[in-house]
Amino acid sequence: MIHLIIYRLEISGSFYSWRGAIWIIAAASIFSLVAYLLLTDKELSLLDQGEMLFTFSEVIIVLGLLMSGINSSSSISTEIEGGTFECLLLTPIKHIQIAIQKMLSTVTIWIILYLVSIPYLIVLANGTNLAFPAILYVGLYGTVLSIAISMISIALSWILKNSKNSIMVTIMIILLLCAPSLFFGTSLRRTDFGIMLENINPFSHAINSLDSVLVDNQQAFYEQLPHVWPVLVFAIVCSVIFVITTKKFEVSKY
Amino acid sequence: MYGISAIGIGKMYGSFRAVDSLTFNVKSGSIFGLIGPNGAGKTTTMRMLCGMLSPTSGRATIAGLDIARESIKIKRIIGLLPESTGFYNWMNGEEYLYYFARLYNIEEPIARKKISDLLNRVGLAAKAFAPIAYYSRGMKQRLALARAVINDPQILFLDEPTLGMDPRGQQEIQKMLLDLNHEKGVTIFLSTHALTDVSTLCDQIGILNHGKLIAHGSLNDLRNLVNDSTSVFIRILNTQETVSRLSKSPFKITIDKVTEDSVDMIISDDNIELDEVVDWIRKQNFKLIELRQLKMNLDEIFFRLTKPNYDKPSSPISVKKSASPQVGQRSFN
Repeated sequence: MIHLIIYRLEISGSFYSWRGAIWIIAAASIFSLVAYLLLTDKELSLLDQGEMLFTFSEVIIVLGLLMSGINSSSSISTEIEGGTFECLLLTPIKHIQIAIQKMLSTVTIWIILYLVSIPYLIVLANGTNLAFPAILYVGLYGTVLSIAISMISIALSWILKNSKNSIMVTIMIILLLCAPSLFFGTSLRRTDFGIMLENINPFSHAINSLDSVLVDNQQAFYEQLPHVWPVLVFAIVCSVIFVITTKKFEVSKY
Repeated sequence: MYGISAIGIGKMYGSFRAVDSLTFNVKSGSIFGLIGPNGAGKTTTMRMLCGMLSPTSGRATIAGLDIARESIKIKRIIGLLPESTGFYNWMNGEEYLYYFARLYNIEEPIARKKISDLLNRVGLAAKAFAPIAYYSRGMKQRLALARAVINDPQILFLDEPTLGMDPRGQQEIQKMLLDLNHEKGVTIFLSTHALTDVSTLCDQIGILNHGKLIAHGSLNDLRNLVNDSTSVFIRILNTQETVSRLSKSPFKITIDKVTEDSVDMIISDDNIELDEVVDWIRKQNFKLIELRQLKMNLDEIFFRLTKPNYDKPSSPISVKKSASPQVGQRSFN
């Protein structure tokens, strides 16, 4: 893994300058706003503390997926558009290593976002025993889903070779994943179609798991296994697509 | 040993045949020039040889390494200057070269020294710490060339290396390439439209047209291929009977220009020998002012070979090698 030199270049753009790091301030502002509303809004503040944590966890994961997806969906296509990908492919680094280093840089963005969110989780869980499970499960699902979305977005970035298109398709995939949990009403979720969509949707499983941990207080890991494995299967499918696609990296007529 | 060897290598894009079964060898330590019209398949050929594009047929080796199976090993020993290189414009020249040096796993102290040397060689030392965004096109081309040789390649592939450079810059790049070839024995594969670069630098030339290698050899071989008959330009002093005596010559003479002082003529003959011409001039007591052999230059050869409906001769016509100058001109006063 040639000293993670590509990874360093990728993250340098996200952290080393105030322009690159402004997303951290934006993310912290969103967290502050949501936490403030949860604690002070008349209706929201009536929520059970577990439900507050659950809502906040959803925000963290959705924001993390969006950040990872958008970042990785332009990682290859911007190199292609800028004409730098040819030089990168010419170096004696395996294609999979190039792709993994780019994927790691987007996962790093998720990790930073997650670290920023931890103080908020601790404050929202004040006085309960939910701080640790919230941190653990948000970390687990957020990391696995972020890796999976990064891999599929990098594959899309290579296939579409155009940043605008790959970002749009990635956002659509994320919205599709989030739709049953965030946008479907209770009645629609109870229909056969809604149930089927929830069963095959890794994001729904992650959200349902957080719901059962934080709201229903079922914190044992074995109780969450039915939700964990679909998320892992999704990540495995994404990694297979990722590996197959990176093997096809070559300079053709763009 | 061959630096580059291609056997029937080809590339299809769907039903379009970009490169059609190329077979050629390039000796280690030589400079090979690949020329051809736009869209002839030069860049595709180069990308296949560099292991960046999979051929759809045939096989090729670079320094004995198979391009299909040993592309990582090949990438360690080659350098490529693509036709249009992209840059990380926020970096400066030094950072850019350092990034690539690290990708080639060159240790930091060695990389720093090498970068400093290279920036000096390509004339960018003074701009080493300026952002690449502020570089001119020629400066970017120099930087790209420095990047292409950062790993001390055994074989260097260059696609239009002097594109966008001023004449001085072109000359400096030519000199740098010759130095690399002579001092380090680097095999150079050059693809360009600058035919003077090819004439000046290359030992061997290949002409690609519609994906096919239509000619391959030295400049003289290519001249033979297009039936370039030897012509001799002669300028003699104009005396009273000069023109009338010329009509009795044993050669096919075309009188080009007659002035009060001199007569210019061209002798064209497939089997001409300069010695015979000089003997004849002496016998006739003509006062010779200038004599030079006229040879087709690469531009003319290129135009003739890539002309639509050109009928390539089935076998090259031999040109007698005489005591005449091999290339260029010779004048007698």
